[in-house]
Amino acid sequence: MIGLHGLVFAYQTRPNLKELVTVRSSASIPFGGRYRAIDFALSNLQNAGCTDVGILVHGKYQSLIDHLGNGKAWDMARIHGGLKILPPFTLDDTHNGTFRGKMEALAGIESYLRSIRQDYVVLMEGDLVSNLPLRKILEQHIESGADITCVCGNDSFYVDNGVYFEAEADGKVKDVMVNIHTPRGRRGLEVYVMSTQLLIKFVEDCIAHDRYSLEHDVLQANKDKLNIRTFIWDGYAAQIRSVKEFYDRSMQLLDPEIREDLFCEERQISAKPAGKSSTFIMPGGSVRNSLIADGCVIEGSIENSIVFAGVTVGKGAKVSNCVVFKNTQIGEGAEMRYIIADKDVQVGAGQTILGSASYPIVVGKGAKV
Amino acid sequence: MKKESVAMLLAGGQGSRLYVLTGKVAKPAVPFGGKYRIIDFPLSNCTNSGIDTVGVLTQYRPMELNFYVGSGQAWDLDSANGGVHILPPYMGADGGSWYKGTANAIYQNNKFIDLYDPEYVVILSGDHIYKMDYAAMISYHKKHNADCTIAVREVPWAEASRFGIMAVDSEMKITEFAEKPKEPKSNLASMGIYVFTWSKLKAYLEADEADPNSENDFGKNVIPAMLNAGEKMQAYRFNGYWKDVGTLESLWDANMDMFDKNSGLNLIDDSWPIYAQTVAAPTAFIGPNSDVSNSAFNRGSVIDGKVNTSVLSQNVTIEPGAEVDHSVLLPGVTVCRGAKVSYAIIGEDCVIGKNAVIGSKPEETSEGWGLTVLGPDCKVEAGRIIKANRMLDCDGKEVVR
Repeated sequence: MIGLHGLVFAYQTRPNLKELVTVRSSASIPFGGRYRAIDFALSNLQNAGCTDVGILVHGKYQSLIDHLGNGKAWDMARIHGGLKILPPFTLDDTHNGTFRGKMEALAGIESYLRSIRQDYVVLMEGDLVSNLPLRKILEQHIESGADITCVCGNDSFYVDNGVYFEAEADGKVKDVMVNIHTPRGRRGLEVYVMSTQLLIKFVEDCIAHDRYSLEHDVLQANKDKLNIRTFIWDGYAAQIRSVKEFYDRSMQLLDPEIREDLFCEERQISAKPAGKSSTFIMPGGSVRNSLIADGCVIEGSIENSIVFAGVTVGKGAKVSNCVVFKNTQIGEGAEMRYIIADKDVQVGAGQTILGSASYPIVVGKGAKV
Repeated sequence: MKKESVAMLLAGGQGSRLYVLTGKVAKPAVPFGGKYRIIDFPLSNCTNSGIDTVGVLTQYRPMELNFYVGSGQAWDLDSANGGVHILPPYMGADGGSWYKGTANAIYQNNKFIDLYDPEYVVILSGDHIYKMDYAAMISYHKKHNADCTIAVREVPWAEASRFGIMAVDSEMKITEFAEKPKEPKSNLASMGIYVFTWSKLKAYLEADEADPNSENDFGKNVIPAMLNAGEKMQAYRFNGYWKDVGTLESLWDANMDMFDKNSGLNLIDDSWPIYAQTVAAPTAFIGPNSDVSNSAFNRGSVIDGKVNTSVLSQNVTIEPGAEVDHSVLLPGVTVCRGAKVSYAIIGEDCVIGKNAVIGSKPEETSEGWGLTVLGPDCKVEAGRIIKANRMLDCDGKEVVR
């Protein structure tokens, strides 16, 4: 069957996300006011007509399971196929509470891989926030005759644990670099398209040799033997791997051009419904240059911030340059600058919490300040 | 498959008093409160009341309503045993007909109701904004061993002649009932919400159908017939927020009630949620030039102008320099730079061109003030002035009320 099967890696621990990942995996980190990071990968797949998707998880996945449900929000609740959450078959296979690499994660779902109906698979990260035209990427993959297509951003920004690609002018990959301190080449978005059969062959090969890294044992090992090519994506692509990256990338959404790119009309991003009412700005409340989700009640002032559903901001409270997650309550007269407030935080009346642009401070889930 | 209660929602009304807003859609599909459509209220009340089987009777321009209700998943009504069912009029082997009246609509679907063999049938209409626990009304009906229970409330005397008006004794037993009386004797009005014991109702519907002089209407025929025959009819007093949004003014009023803490309309309260179909749109953006006060807005919107005491639905764009005051903007509306919208209801996907002026404030209108209403898809040319109390259809032509 010509078609695309999605495999989304949502097991990574991303220690530099600190408090934001103590209660969840990075794939279920809230982003952009009404989304979780994984909504982007799933919507990318949905928009490419892909309804069969496996999600590889390891620990801290309760929040993710709660968010995904049966996949209905992405049209992936199917009798045949659909969305499948794939935890490790047995914890004995893992090292230090996680997988050593993507090939080890895939080795644990070998029988699932053999049941894939589609001819092609796309491997993606659950914490990549982008609006990729996967259908077009698959078309280019088939037309170019590539064995593996690696999707790259058109930049070499530094990201934690990043993968960078150097390619010839025609797109053929010359070199693959992992974890380099001064990045060069193009930033890999860690989105890979290949045939299902080739992926299964790699997995078998890695199992046989106790190899676990997709980057080292598949890409680097085969760069001269196989036709590995790049697909360059010029649009917005955020890899949410550290608090600073999360904060900066969130704030970029206040730029209308970036929103237009990430939320383009032809490929909509779907999310689980919040089930909230309209948002109310009460008399005396004011909001400037901010993204505000549903069901908030705003009596104070908000500026340059991203506010999720159901947040209340009391009279005289001042919130600026903050990211405020769902159902957080900010008391009367409180002041917050450069704060990432996780879900259900309560900031008491008159309290002041200040971070800075270069070091935004995270207030953990449910904290009472 | 037996159910204790089945709800039947009358959603076939044309809603002609909403004029251009119902030119293309049935009244229950008209948007409300920025986020909902009117039908979300009775459907959500059913779910919250534990009624999992609902028939939605459609007739007039049903496409949008069918599309909107879909599988019923948005209201948790996509149940394998029960759930929501759209019930249009149909042809049988010996013919068929449109729904002749509210009672006839239920009569034509008696086989649907019998499928669930219910003790009670709850009759609802698709043009009211309210949060009500039907389960409490059903248990009241049971407690009084009634054959019919009618939800009632006091309405302003001036409006009483628009409603079914009744007299009750000290036990709230109904002693008299008059549908839309010219000279009402009381102001205790029917809310159009009934609980019937199904076996009783079925017999009366059959008799009503056999009567060639009947208009086949609950208020005009079935209720009076039951009362005359001495059936046990109870009134059930409901004191929460309730508004019939069958007119443009009442629809606007009900939207404005969202901003009045004393109105009783609390849509933020999560304990009795009103569900709606999800709209896939990004988080609303409130721009650097904006000045938004005492207003509600929704996802997909980009607001960079001045907004005061207004309800903005999903995907609304307010450009810098535009002003919106005391208005209700339905989904997809764009108000371009310099345009002013005051005391208006703006239909879905309307575009208000640059510097256009729609409606005016009562205090700034010398004579003939009233709401200004634009039908869906209306494109108002730049600079055009639409005075207060005017109405435009989807082609921008003026319509007389």
